[in-house]
Amino acid sequence: MIFAWMGLLLVIAVGFVVFPLIRGGHGAPVAADTTPAVLIDQLNEVQRDLDRKLISASEATAAKLEIKRRILAASRRSPAEETAATGKGNGLMLAAGLFVPVLAIGYYMLMGSPEISSLAYADRQAERAEQQKIYDLTEKLYARLMAEPDGGASEGWELLGQTLYRLGEYERAIAAYETVTAREDARSATFSMLAEALISAEQGIVTPRAEAAIDRAVELDPDNLAGSFYKSMALAQRGEEATAHDLLLSMLNGAPGYAPWMDTFIAQANQIGEKLGRDAVTVADFAEVGGAGAGPTAADVAAAGEMSVEDRAEFIRSMVDRLAVRLEENPEDLDGWLRLANAYSVLGEEANAVSALKQAETLLASLSPDDPRRDAVAKALSEMEK
Amino acid sequence: MIPEIGHFALALALALALIQSVVPLVGANRGKLLWMRSARTTSIGQILLVSIGFAALVRSFVVSDFTVINVAANSHSLKPMLFKVAGAWGSHEGSLLLWVLILTLFGAGVSVFGSNIAESMKARTLAVQAWISVGFISFMLFTSNPFDRVFPAPADGNDLNPLLQDVGLALHPPFLYLGYVGFSIVFSFAVAALLEGRVDAAWARWVRPWTLAAWMFLTAGIVLGSWWAYYELGWGGWWFWDPVENSSFMPWLLGTALLHSAIVTEKRDAFKSWTILLAILTFSLSLLGTFVVRSGLLTSVHAFAVDPERGLYILGLLTLSIGGSLGLFAWRAPLMEPGGVFRPISREAGLLVNNLILGAATGTVLFGTLYPLFLEAVTGEKISVGAPFFNATFIPMAFPLILLMGAGPFLSWKRADLSGVLQRVKFVIGLSVFATLVVWYLLERGPLLAYISVLLAVWLLLATLREWTMRIRLFDIPLAQSLRRARNLPRAAHGMTLAHAGMAVAMFGFIGSSAWKTEEVVFVAPGTVIEIAGFDVTFEGVERVKGANYFADRGSLAVMRDGEPVTTLYPERRYYPIAESSTTESAIRSTLAGDLYASIAEPASEDAELSGAWTLRILYEPLVNFIWIGSAMLMLGGALSMTDRRLRIGAPKRKSAIPAVAAPAE
Repeated sequence: MIFAWMGLLLVIAVGFVVFPLIRGGHGAPVAADTTPAVLIDQLNEVQRDLDRKLISASEATAAKLEIKRRILAASRRSPAEETAATGKGNGLMLAAGLFVPVLAIGYYMLMGSPEISSLAYADRQAERAEQQKIYDLTEKLYARLMAEPDGGASEGWELLGQTLYRLGEYERAIAAYETVTAREDARSATFSMLAEALISAEQGIVTPRAEAAIDRAVELDPDNLAGSFYKSMALAQRGEEATAHDLLLSMLNGAPGYAPWMDTFIAQANQIGEKLGRDAVTVADFAEVGGAGAGPTAADVAAAGEMSVEDRAEFIRSMVDRLAVRLEENPEDLDGWLRLANAYSVLGEEANAVSALKQAETLLASLSPDDPRRDAVAKALSEMEK
Repeated sequence: MIPEIGHFALALALALALIQSVVPLVGANRGKLLWMRSARTTSIGQILLVSIGFAALVRSFVVSDFTVINVAANSHSLKPMLFKVAGAWGSHEGSLLLWVLILTLFGAGVSVFGSNIAESMKARTLAVQAWISVGFISFMLFTSNPFDRVFPAPADGNDLNPLLQDVGLALHPPFLYLGYVGFSIVFSFAVAALLEGRVDAAWARWVRPWTLAAWMFLTAGIVLGSWWAYYELGWGGWWFWDPVENSSFMPWLLGTALLHSAIVTEKRDAFKSWTILLAILTFSLSLLGTFVVRSGLLTSVHAFAVDPERGLYILGLLTLSIGGSLGLFAWRAPLMEPGGVFRPISREAGLLVNNLILGAATGTVLFGTLYPLFLEAVTGEKISVGAPFFNATFIPMAFPLILLMGAGPFLSWKRADLSGVLQRVKFVIGLSVFATLVVWYLLERGPLLAYISVLLAVWLLLATLREWTMRIRLFDIPLAQSLRRARNLPRAAHGMTLAHAGMAVAMFGFIGSSAWKTEEVVFVAPGTVIEIAGFDVTFEGVERVKGANYFADRGSLAVMRDGEPVTTLYPERRYYPIAESSTTESAIRSTLAGDLYASIAEPASEDAELSGAWTLRILYEPLVNFIWIGSAMLMLGGALSMTDRRLRIGAPKRKSAIPAVAAPAE
């Protein structure tokens, strides 16, 4: 639908460019030189002014003489300027018509977002009702926590803080977190969440108040990732980019294997590193490389990110095959089988997925009865065999 | 879907603008009529496509489509409908789209109404107009796209700055832009004339209606902004000499000079390069104004440096257009044929002096506006150049200008008879001095500068009226004959009288409301009585009221004079919770004699708050409404001039055009 409308617009736009071709620029010139007409009008005006006695007779004569001289000059010049409009030049107009779709479509393919449909506020009742429900629940939680004689459980306040943060109510989120951070048993994570809310409330500026919370978070738990991240932000904003960069790299170096947080750290490190003129880093610099680990390595993930769609499918395929081969050699790996089943179902190979699940099923016996993997396998199998 | 259609339409408009910037120009150089005429349809196509884009944006604002980032950032579902619509141009991106819309509007206007313009000149003018289009559409699409999307959409918008949620300001940008951008077409005409190497009476006549239109809209835009500042900012002032105001005032000053200079070019074939230069500079100042306001340069030089993409793009545009056109001027202007000669005492000389003063005044304002920016960029020191500088420099320059403005219309072209003119105005001079002495006798106070201003304003008003009565020979011949003469007078002559008289009327407003203003700023508690300018104002307290997207503290002030109740004023302090900011809604009792103006602000201290005390600012501004009346007369005068039939001279009769269309194909 949207492309039909765009097509129509395109046709109209091209129409405006090539229209002169259809109508032809062959008619007589509508306006040649209008200077003499203007001058003759001036001549009449002088006469009118003279009739009204606005100017004297001698002034009028002088003015008329001058205007007549100009009329002569203008008429002498005109014919030379009316150069013959020879040659049609249709080709250029057609080329111009062709240029319109090339530019507009080219631009739109780069910059347009046709996949996002417009969404009027009035059409979003359901979403708002949902939002309202979250809001009501938040208020209820707040009321309950306030009513508790001991001031409410710390977990409750943290949950409230997180919900308010997601609703964009930073000030209230800060107040909720601060209820907990004022207590003896405050955790490192609470301080880093507080710092996050404080920074968001100031549109990304790390205030001294936020930095105090960050420092406390890191002090309580030096491995608190959020704490280190915001510490680097504080350092960078203060102009200590080198220290900030070093801090990020040291956290990355300490990572045991690939984890999603590393992407954020690497992006931040590279942003700061660029200002310092330091070399950019990638995931491969920090996570171990090679097939020893289970599933794709960090380097594999990084490589997959840079591939085209076809290449990526091919890549995943080869990884899945590698996993399958490894499991043949080492069939006791329950998690491995589950991962393989999942990969097959993503690739749409249901038969393989079922057989992987069957393999996993044989390993369930040794598990404790309440292990969630029992349910997972049963559920996946029942879905597959439908 | 709708926002994407709008986005695509803008991309198409860019394509059309690119074509129009090249093909007609080449056509004009090679004498190819087809290429020249292509400008006509592409310029109409451009306005159509940009209108679709603009309509799509307005629609997104009206239905609060928060998938459009611009809507989410500048609107809110609870905002009143008028301000939802106005929100479309309340933001940087939206106002650029409005800018481009108006740009294409003027281009299409020349296409449609310019049947009296020679084909090659029209082609060149429209091509130059398209260069500007290309610059601004690409600026918009690549750095400030109003149709950037976000998904999932935020729950609600951030609301528009509540200061901008006001009728005066909803209308201010469209008018201001009609003025700013209106000068673009005059600029295009000037550059086209340089390319063509020819400026004559016909050229001056083609340019005149467009200059007049732009000048009128700019006047309206400036006045609306000033009116808005007067009642919305709560200070009771109508002009602050702040850089944003100055950026609109400078093109107005030079535009006024251009308007007058073009008359000389038309009537006397003189001032050719001067008129061209003014046309270039006027639009350059409009661009500069856009740059200064839109680049973030004003907030701080550093703010500009932090996010320089937009600023650099528009600075590039500015350098290219101003540098390019001035370069072209330097190269081509000397080729212009010299025009008519004139004596030192003549209407030409009068207009020349007036032009020079306007130019010098513009330079002064420009210096005062840009100097703090340069200083901050070079030394990092922040200073502000405000009213004291401008009052000390601008007002003295305005005095001789007003003096000449009254005398100029009495001077005849080429050589004027000074003693004859003095003979005709001696009565007016005497009356002006007498009127000033009467004012002095009645008021007995006020600065000397104010009395000089009164003298000049009275002189301007009376001299203008005297000149008009002379033209129709009122009291000289029977009234019926005079009226017939008035009817026969060209409308431009009436327009001039009305505009010049309007200037005088506005001056009374300027003088009265600045020199004889009385102001009280006091803490008030319920029951406090303040005496000001003969009024007894009783503060009755404050109540909390709720509006669509705000709540307000509304004060009540009972106004009495000589024991008789006059009116009750309700100044408000509004708080907009979503935008987290407050505005002042002043209450004004408006009469021709002057305005009683009241605004309230939060109590200064907590102690005061507990006792129910508020800060009340109350002013009496004599004659302030004359500013708006005089400005309306200025605009009306411009409109009257525009309808002058002489501006249509040179248009071929419609009859001759019809057979050309209906002619059978060979």
